[in-house]
Amino acid sequence: MNVIDDNNLLMRKVNCKLDILSRPDGSVLLSQGDTVVIAGVYGPIEVKTQKMLINKASVETFYRPKSGTPGIGDRLYESIIQNICETSLVSALYPRSSIVVIIQEMQNYGGIISCAVNACCFALLNSGIDMKFLVASASCALDDKGVFHLDPDKLLSDKAKANFVFVFDNIAKRIIASHTSGSFNLAQYEEALELCKKACDAIFDFYKTKMKNEIANKV
Amino acid sequence: MAKQFKSLHPIKFYRDYLNQNVRPDGRLLSKFRPVIVNTGSIATADGSALVRIGKTTVICGIKAELAQPKAEKPKEGFLICNVDLPPLCSSKFRPGPPSDLAQVTTRFVADLILNSGCIHLRDLCILKEKLVWCLYADLICLDYDGCLIDACLLALLTALKTVKLPSVDYDVAIDKKVVNEDEKKSILIYNTPVSTTYAIFEDKIITDPTAEEEDLSSGLITIVVKEKELCSVHKPGGSPISEEKLYDCIQETIKRADLLNTLINTAISEQTH
Amino acid sequence: MPNDNRRINGPENTLSYRLFSNSNPHSNVQKKIKDIFKNNTRPSERNFSEQRKIFLKCGVVSQAKGSAYFEVDNTKVIVSVYDPREIPKKTDYSLKGELYCVFKFAPFSCPTRRGYQQDAEEKQNSAILKRALESAVCRHKFPNFQVDVYVLVLENDGSALSAAITAAGVALAQAGIPMYDTITAATLGVQGSHKIVDPNLEEETLCNVAVYKNEGEKKYESHGIIILSMLSTHEQVSELYQTGNLSLDTINAAINILSKATKEIVPLVEKCLVNHVTKNLKTDVED
Repeated sequence: MNVIDDNNLLMRKVNCKLDILSRPDGSVLLSQGDTVVIAGVYGPIEVKTQKMLINKASVETFYRPKSGTPGIGDRLYESIIQNICETSLVSALYPRSSIVVIIQEMQNYGGIISCAVNACCFALLNSGIDMKFLVASASCALDDKGVFHLDPDKLLSDKAKANFVFVFDNIAKRIIASHTSGSFNLAQYEEALELCKKACDAIFDFYKTKMKNEIANKV
Repeated sequence: MAKQFKSLHPIKFYRDYLNQNVRPDGRLLSKFRPVIVNTGSIATADGSALVRIGKTTVICGIKAELAQPKAEKPKEGFLICNVDLPPLCSSKFRPGPPSDLAQVTTRFVADLILNSGCIHLRDLCILKEKLVWCLYADLICLDYDGCLIDACLLALLTALKTVKLPSVDYDVAIDKKVVNEDEKKSILIYNTPVSTTYAIFEDKIITDPTAEEEDLSSGLITIVVKEKELCSVHKPGGSPISEEKLYDCIQETIKRADLLNTLINTAISEQTH
Repeated sequence: MPNDNRRINGPENTLSYRLFSNSNPHSNVQKKIKDIFKNNTRPSERNFSEQRKIFLKCGVVSQAKGSAYFEVDNTKVIVSVYDPREIPKKTDYSLKGELYCVFKFAPFSCPTRRGYQQDAEEKQNSAILKRALESAVCRHKFPNFQVDVYVLVLENDGSALSAAITAAGVALAQAGIPMYDTITAATLGVQGSHKIVDPNLEEETLCNVAVYKNEGEKKYESHGIIILSMLSTHEQVSELYQTGNLSLDTINAAINILSKATKEIVPLVEKCLVNHVTKNLKTDVED
């Protein structure tokens, strides 16, 4: 996917396969370069009495690392994805029920948060649960020379001075989430934001074409 | 009457206040709560600080221990910081393993300290491959009333600046360590990241929210600044906001950072005198 | 230590630097004990029956129903009490309400670092705290409910448990939990014929050491620590806890000393609560 004609600003190849699992209501395998995640969505389903909300569905997210039990780093991702799902879903339509989103990391070569958020949105689309808007995420890195790299892989982001992850909605293109590491100034932040916004536009287009094809195939 | 109205329609109650540009506790929307920083309150710790932002209270105690470095990083010491939200600080938390919020805050604070470069782990090396300092920084919330990250960062940085490590003579040949407690030295802190949290309530941005306001809000933004540079713009989901509003928050945070820095420095100089 | 995936773990086998210190306090315990006997003075240079100055404040945790902060010299304890709530996972009906007490040392509160999970000592202290408080609270007033009492020791400089009991009593009272009486507690350390009221950390360690009566003789001096909590107006003992090796006479004498010591704290507790009430009344009137 080429957003702007510049080698640094090339996104890694995005690929996806819908309905990869048979049990969940929606599932997707999404790869961005060598980073791969599987997302599954169940919902609306029965809810435990402790977690029941009388005016809306309770959203539960689980982020599973490639191996071992989830650590506190995974909890941070989990909470970000949970907050994104809660705002993008029309949970008021499903009171006293629960929507469960499970993200399984398969391979992490950088940009795992972006990949997980995009997979999550795909899986929600696939499940047919009502959403207020779509979400897309893109990441970029700022190296020591002050050059931006869109959608960096692990090597690039480890060496970078700063890393940025943004999540946008598809209606007003406003910021839903922002997560950064390293240090940078306001101008650099603005530039990173604009860059990721453009990349997200490309991802929204990708959602559209992919879903169109999928529906056409089914018909 | 107000009490009943508040418990029945908390959101409407709050909205009515905000429409008059004032908050239930009498603050304007962009007004901060008073901050108190106290240092050296725990004698058993090697560095300590107590921070109050409004009613939110966080205490940080740092204990230094001796450890062997990791084989892959033979010259680096350790800084292990954990945020604890005991059931003591709020009825939201139950006894048992750390809550999700505690885990997420721990990760965020620990990442931030490492990324900001405010402390160089190499400074904690005593002898390459053999002996390094391991600083255990424990942040305990004593009263939870919002803006946890802000209070934690402030307490951690202040405590780090008060840490005094004794000198160690290490004889490799016979593996003998002698610690001289009379000669204590501070560690170098290269910069001071400080943060401010904002809450989004409908189309308004509320500065320095209390726990109640955090619950009612539809999203939080935490911005971390060190010496005029941004360290983190953390918005973990929640309602979407426009760029302009986000940039306003960043400007606001940069302005406030100076004040917080002076606060830390005064607290530390008061201790030394 | 098992790997805890809910926290950041440090490297394995870290040691406190105090173990290698050139002024190691552990080495000269015997000498210090001899000094006590010879000079008839305690390490903290107080009189043997003198308590340290106490600072007590209630209502320190805004989110809690009742809370108290207790400071005596360097010992700092904070307690918070929450509204009665239904006992989780309980099937049968209990006529009396329950107290759920958690006593915890902060990781940095002692000379050596403490773990995050409650260790045996902390569990023991929780149980003592629960027993001490149970007889001061009208438990029949909240059947099938439990009241949570959380104690955190921020810094331990001796007598932390008795400080916790007194502070918990104040916090319960402030929370409006029905009580029979004010409850206060005190600690006594015993080493030989010396009875040390309100020992600090150093004195506590001295009292936990067994010393031979005479060189070569296999008889120990009596030594140990006694904690007593008292309901003041009823003059009833709610809990007596003792460690070490003590003769009956010593315990009898100790109870007299300790009941006097607990009485000394009562006016302070009362003043603290009265101040809190008058202050709240004033703000209510102003509102």
